[in-house]
Amino acid sequence: MTALELSHVTKSFGTGHTKVSALKETNFQADRGELIAIIGPSGSGKSTFLTIAGGLLTPSTGDVIINNQKLTPLNEKKRSKIRLQEIGFILQASNLIPFLTVDKQMKLLDKVKKGNMTKGELEQLYHDLGIEELRNKYPADLSGGQRQRVAIAKALYSNPSIILADEPTASLDSNRAFEVMELLKNETKNKNTTTIVVTHDTRLISYFDKVYKMTDGVLALESNVNATGTM
Amino acid sequence: MFLAWNEIKKNKLRFTLIMGVLMLISYLVFFLSGLATGLANLNRESVDKWDATGIVLTEESDKSLLQSSLTLDDVESVEAEETAVISQMNAIASNGDTKKNVAIFGIREDEFIMPNVTEGKAFSKRNEVIASDSLKEEGFQIGDELDLSSTEETVTIVGFTDEGRFNAAPVLYGELSTFHKVKYGEAAEMNKDQINGIVVRADDVSILTKDDKLEAIEIETFIENLPGYTEQNLTLNFMIYFLCIISAVIVAIFLYVLTVQKISMFGVMKAQGISNGYLSRSVVAQTFILAAIGVCVGFLLTLISGAFLPSAVPVSFDIVTMIVYGILLIVVAVLGALFSVRTIVKIDPLKAIGG
Repeated sequence: MTALELSHVTKSFGTGHTKVSALKETNFQADRGELIAIIGPSGSGKSTFLTIAGGLLTPSTGDVIINNQKLTPLNEKKRSKIRLQEIGFILQASNLIPFLTVDKQMKLLDKVKKGNMTKGELEQLYHDLGIEELRNKYPADLSGGQRQRVAIAKALYSNPSIILADEPTASLDSNRAFEVMELLKNETKNKNTTTIVVTHDTRLISYFDKVYKMTDGVLALESNVNATGTM
Repeated sequence: MFLAWNEIKKNKLRFTLIMGVLMLISYLVFFLSGLATGLANLNRESVDKWDATGIVLTEESDKSLLQSSLTLDDVESVEAEETAVISQMNAIASNGDTKKNVAIFGIREDEFIMPNVTEGKAFSKRNEVIASDSLKEEGFQIGDELDLSSTEETVTIVGFTDEGRFNAAPVLYGELSTFHKVKYGEAAEMNKDQINGIVVRADDVSILTKDDKLEAIEIETFIENLPGYTEQNLTLNFMIYFLCIISAVIVAIFLYVLTVQKISMFGVMKAQGISNGYLSRSVVAQTFILAAIGVCVGFLLTLISGAFLPSAVPVSFDIVTMIVYGILLIVVAVLGALFSVRTIVKIDPLKAIGG
């Protein structure tokens, strides 16, 4: 089942002489239960792709379809609602709120959205990420890696159907990076979500079902581990 | 509320400062309103005590009791349920130790503006007066014989009454004949019909008199035309309203700076799909909490310091007025927060997360 589809999507910035084509015509499909990597040098259009897929940026042409719903014709308010319901972001910049403890970061999601994890599942998630001890700490008291793990917990807590991660392992050491990838992989398989990870980190390639490479705004499938997966 | 309250708890110093500013402003507003009420009372309490609906003066007096000159015959031409004649003059009264500016009311004992006696007894003879008890604080006592300026006559205080100040001067209430004697001296007999106004109780003040030379006015109009009364109230109210505007601007600036600091945080939250509505409500709730606490503390401080003020300070706290100003302050603070709401709505989640 297709969770996310980009159909004939292009994105260019500026007009006339200064026109820059950040994303050439792209067709992309991601199914439920797939863990997908997008690699490529910086400036290649990876982030543009991710923000368009997440409904943060409107494409110049083409359509973004999330769970059979076209995103492009919707206004910001409705797109914001879809982001809340369907998408979990793990951003490069820490997406934690400085004045909330780890527990309260999760509680905020309860305030704005129904259908998050149960208490037991959250405990398991804390355990999996190794952040049980940090629940009453403020982000300022955490190390970069701890903050990143809390950010991941936050993205997973809302039970999204799509997880979009921008360099989720950037501030983690190798062991932690592998653990996080293991966790993302398990979540993807167990919860049947779609996870798209933008990364530089070639150590992690083995975890992914599919690896796409982005070069100068052109997205190309590089490897497809999962033989049954369709492009 | 969740975000608002947790942020306040985490950043206590910052929000205590904002609360402190609101507290000080509300303290000043409450104090000014107390001063406005106190000064207004100083001018009008003896008039309020009449519990009258109107007063008849001569048309040429331009609503000034002192400048109005009628005769007792004019009372016949006023068609009101109840009437009370009044004569008024100002003088300096001295008991030998203290000199004090006073107003003298000449009235009739059996008419409704006759004051209640809180101490001593009512006047019964010529040259006996009931005095405002504010004179008591100046050292005047029952039995004091008062020398009055510009006359050889003396009057004796036989009783006190409360709330007896007219245009900031304590009132001496006496019989009409006492008044005439004090005012006209040897010529008192010739002027025994002279009065300054006729205080009335009637449903419709405008139809009281058909005499062109007379003018019937509402008692509130009469008060507003007391010398200095309206000017003083306008000045103080202007200061109060201006303070409200200042507090709105200060809150707006504070919150705007805080909001700008948090743009990337708001951007991340918006990227995650938290709605503008939720974030805006949170800022408004935060302002409400800050303003409500600040105003309440200011209110308490005002009452506490009011209790320690010497009675010479004309401050009188009217709780209803203070509550109205308190609510006004909270409302304008929240209006100031709307400025930041606009900023939040305009944040582009994409820019904020550096995508």
